[in-house]
Amino acid sequence: MTAIICKRSRLALWLVTLLSASVAFSQQVPVKEVHLANGMRLLMVERHDNPTIAGGWVAHVGSSNERPGITGIAHLFEHMMFKGTPTIGTKDYEKDQEIIAKQEEVREKMRQEEAHMREMWRHGKIKDLQDPNTFTPRYKELSAEFKKLVDAQRELLVKNEFDRIYTTAGASGMNAFTTDDLTGYFINVPANKLELWMWMESERLWHPVFREFYAERDVVLEERRMRYDSTPLGEASVAHLAMFWESSTYSWPTIGWPSDVMAISKAQADNFYSIYYSPQNITLILVGDFQSDDAEKMARRYFGRIPRGKKDPPDVVTLEVPQEVEKRMNAEVEANPQVDIYWHTVPYQHPDSYPLAVLAQLLSGRTGRLYKGLVLSNEVATETFAYQDSKKWAGLFNIGGEARDGKTPEDVEQGIYQELDKLKHELVPAEELQKIKNQYAAYEYRKLNSNFSILHQLINYDGEGDWREINYGGPKIQAVTAEDVQRVAQKYFTKINRAVGIYTRKPGTGTEEDPDLAGLTGDQKTAIKQLAAKLKQESDAGKLKQALEKMKGQAGQVPDEQKPFFQAYMKKIQARVTELGGKE
Amino acid sequence: MKRRTFCQITFLSILVCLTASTFAEDIPNRPEKLTFEPLKFEPPLAADYRHVLNGGVVAYLVPDRTLPLVDIDVMFRVGEHLDPKGKEGLASLTGYLMARGGTKSKTAEELDERMDFLAAQLGTGIQGFQGNAHLNLLSKDLDEGLSILREVLAEPRFQEDKIALRKEQIIAEMKQRNDDSADIEQRERRFLAFGEHFWSNRLETKSSVDSISRDDLIAFHHKWIQPKNFIIAVAGDFDVDDMTARLNKLIADWPYSGETAPEPPANPEMAKPGIYLVDKDVNQGRVTLMLPGIQRDNPDYFACLVMNDILGGGGFTSRLMNRIRSDEGLAYSAGSAFQAGVYAPGPFIAVFQSKSRTVPYATSIIEQELKRMADQPVSDEELNTSKRSFIDTFPQNFASKSAVAGLFGNDELTGRFAKDPDYWKEFRGKIDAISEDDVQKVAKKYLKPNDAVILVVGQKKEILEGHPDHSVKLTDLSKGPLVEVPLRDPLTLKPIDAQPAQKE
Repeated sequence: MTAIICKRSRLALWLVTLLSASVAFSQQVPVKEVHLANGMRLLMVERHDNPTIAGGWVAHVGSSNERPGITGIAHLFEHMMFKGTPTIGTKDYEKDQEIIAKQEEVREKMRQEEAHMREMWRHGKIKDLQDPNTFTPRYKELSAEFKKLVDAQRELLVKNEFDRIYTTAGASGMNAFTTDDLTGYFINVPANKLELWMWMESERLWHPVFREFYAERDVVLEERRMRYDSTPLGEASVAHLAMFWESSTYSWPTIGWPSDVMAISKAQADNFYSIYYSPQNITLILVGDFQSDDAEKMARRYFGRIPRGKKDPPDVVTLEVPQEVEKRMNAEVEANPQVDIYWHTVPYQHPDSYPLAVLAQLLSGRTGRLYKGLVLSNEVATETFAYQDSKKWAGLFNIGGEARDGKTPEDVEQGIYQELDKLKHELVPAEELQKIKNQYAAYEYRKLNSNFSILHQLINYDGEGDWREINYGGPKIQAVTAEDVQRVAQKYFTKINRAVGIYTRKPGTGTEEDPDLAGLTGDQKTAIKQLAAKLKQESDAGKLKQALEKMKGQAGQVPDEQKPFFQAYMKKIQARVTELGGKE
Repeated sequence: MKRRTFCQITFLSILVCLTASTFAEDIPNRPEKLTFEPLKFEPPLAADYRHVLNGGVVAYLVPDRTLPLVDIDVMFRVGEHLDPKGKEGLASLTGYLMARGGTKSKTAEELDERMDFLAAQLGTGIQGFQGNAHLNLLSKDLDEGLSILREVLAEPRFQEDKIALRKEQIIAEMKQRNDDSADIEQRERRFLAFGEHFWSNRLETKSSVDSISRDDLIAFHHKWIQPKNFIIAVAGDFDVDDMTARLNKLIADWPYSGETAPEPPANPEMAKPGIYLVDKDVNQGRVTLMLPGIQRDNPDYFACLVMNDILGGGGFTSRLMNRIRSDEGLAYSAGSAFQAGVYAPGPFIAVFQSKSRTVPYATSIIEQELKRMADQPVSDEELNTSKRSFIDTFPQNFASKSAVAGLFGNDELTGRFAKDPDYWKEFRGKIDAISEDDVQKVAKKYLKPNDAVILVVGQKKEILEGHPDHSVKLTDLSKGPLVEVPLRDPLTLKPIDAQPAQKE
């Protein structure tokens, strides 16, 4: 389960995020809010078009609540919430608990050995802590012992029973996601299965059982490989954010640092649950075909069973220190050259977040200033984007663009600053501002198009701090003036407030014009590329040098029209010789 | 006064709290003990929304007065199979630029500004075997919106500067063809599944895009973008008679007489069984296992739906997810699909991504599960879960009015409405009738591991080496050969590899 809202997917969602921070003139979302005695809250929106209900809840915890050593635990925990309860997921609860306890004993020994292996790694005795070939004999022995306990537990498991019960009942789309501020869980159930939802969700919130904990850690490591390690921009974008946030707990990615994910223990997960999954930190949300009175009664009955947490979850006290120096990063990636810039702005519901949202929209889209300025007029970029991201504890503004052929990321960067300078020096014309407000106003209707979209907006708004934003944001956007936009442009878009990521293509990947191939025909270029690839497989520098000598001797006989090809080929051979460490 | 109210509320909530906990004792310890009212749902019937416009153009009109929005989708039976040889990318470029290259009365810039000011969403495109023009706008702007839509459909301007810009964007995107291992997998997958010469695999190259001129766009547009190739689906805030009249006006007096578009050719050819390996330096390998599949109207279709759901289509209730992810922690996602094609058989595919070393082992699990599916009947519980899921999630196909219009429009376009008008009415009954036998029969018929075409994209050396805890090697997984598939030049799609040197 899971979707981490990572940087790139957020780009795709930017419009939704921005636009949903608004409400038009009249279109209020009729949310009914109920408080349970244990501190849990319930939000309800009735919609009777189709016999389904979108049900979900948000835990007010994300990776920004973590600390070094347990980064990634909020997300790993999200995965664990699907593993069952005392009665769901096992044939024999007591035996299951016994095995889990034994597993933890072995794991404790493994953790000690892991500490030892980390020490060996620090001393250069182990190259790669994830390489199974370099595990110590003791660790291999303990792993084998642990595996036996996993097999024993598997005998008792009723695999993914939590999911199966829902699926058999006609529920669908069950999933969850973790961001830096919140963890959201959601599902669609047929309208007659509301009570099943109450049963299932209250059971897992009340007493979840974390089975298959360590296999799930491996799943998360695979998720990390899929989302970050194996994608062209994944690791560089993580590095960029880590450079941007200095003291803030937003500086690590939601999926966590690999070393932490590998080390998180079940005891730490238990502790995390007791602090952050207490009723006073949870909001339930229902949207769809049900009667609010019935739902409220049922919620009190089912969720009211869960005792209030003894202590409220702690607040995050670490504030981002004001940035005093411009930050720059140069990354070589397997992607087209591009620039990506962050500025520190303001958190959720800050008065400046509304003019910043308007400013982002002024810059965005085909009639936005970036596209008109950088893509259509200046011709330095092929595409651009901009958005304001108001998080719970802090906020950022992000602008970026891809460089056109023959232009550099720095050209795009300068183009962006020129557009921002215009916003600082000249007031936005009334008609242009009205266009943006019209778009926000129309979104007031579009955002109501499905149960699921309303559910997700409420999960996000409440997770960031206040669901009422769904109805408060719109009028605030409509009240933004041209002077407001100018003021925030001047205030936030300064040199020392930004962190610039310059991305260039990693040499040897893609099709950037190789200077060695200048003057060749298309077919000749392809042939040279093929030959160069073949040369990569030749590891005998001596043989290559011989060939090179021979070619030099023949150079005079080559017909004129073949000369560029011949010379390019020689250059490639020479390059390979150099690569192999041979000198001419 | 205020204080008293406060006390009463506190007292009441204590009462509520007490009663709640009394009730809580009746809560059963297993969900099977709960009882539910039956769910009544009858699907809407296409015929109730179907209207035949002038010239025989079919429209589906589904009014919905709850919000002041109208959603109009003009779909056309015009696809990339109509690209002339050497001009691959023409259909897609034409489709995109109809709405982005200006119209007879408006430059592209004026059109964009106007639509953005009205907060209307307008877009056109051609992809696969169909295209569309989509407009979503406030109902107060319907007059203006439809007159713009008419120009976009009938009289696009295809401004030269917008053609040049779009081409540049396409080529920039093309340059990234080898950057993401997921893109490489997707491209090679379709080559292996359908053959390099299949229509959907005639991919654009730099030279094919370079060769496209404005005249080509105009000729393509005049020939194919015709009301006779249209199906229209409209949902939202309108009156049916009024909308019928508006749509008749939208398609009246077409300035060109083009042709009726032919169906795409149905001559796919799957690669020979074997392992196809693309070397790419990433720490996670991507695997697709493929087998010859079926077309949508195949009598085995419903049994295949259920069989695949149990095997790998059903997410966390499916066998592949259980074994590869939950048991072994080998992958984040693992699953399968029977991609029953509309015009030609689509393949059965099973996919996962795993760290390089465990690629062979996880692949061997897929093969075991294919075999188990064919050798042993599924359990009652598995069959029931799958059937209930299809039957009880059925209403979601009709979740919104625009979903209903779109679904029926699509059925009209792909010929399902003509061939099988009761498809949706009978859907649940046909699923319910599937037995364990039916499932095993189709598993035997379609899941033959020996026929598997296995595509692997990842770090060749580590993948071939395998994992010390598991003896299986990649080469053990097919009787067919191990074929090393070279990367293709992003701009020409010609293989970049160590082929015999050309003589000079």
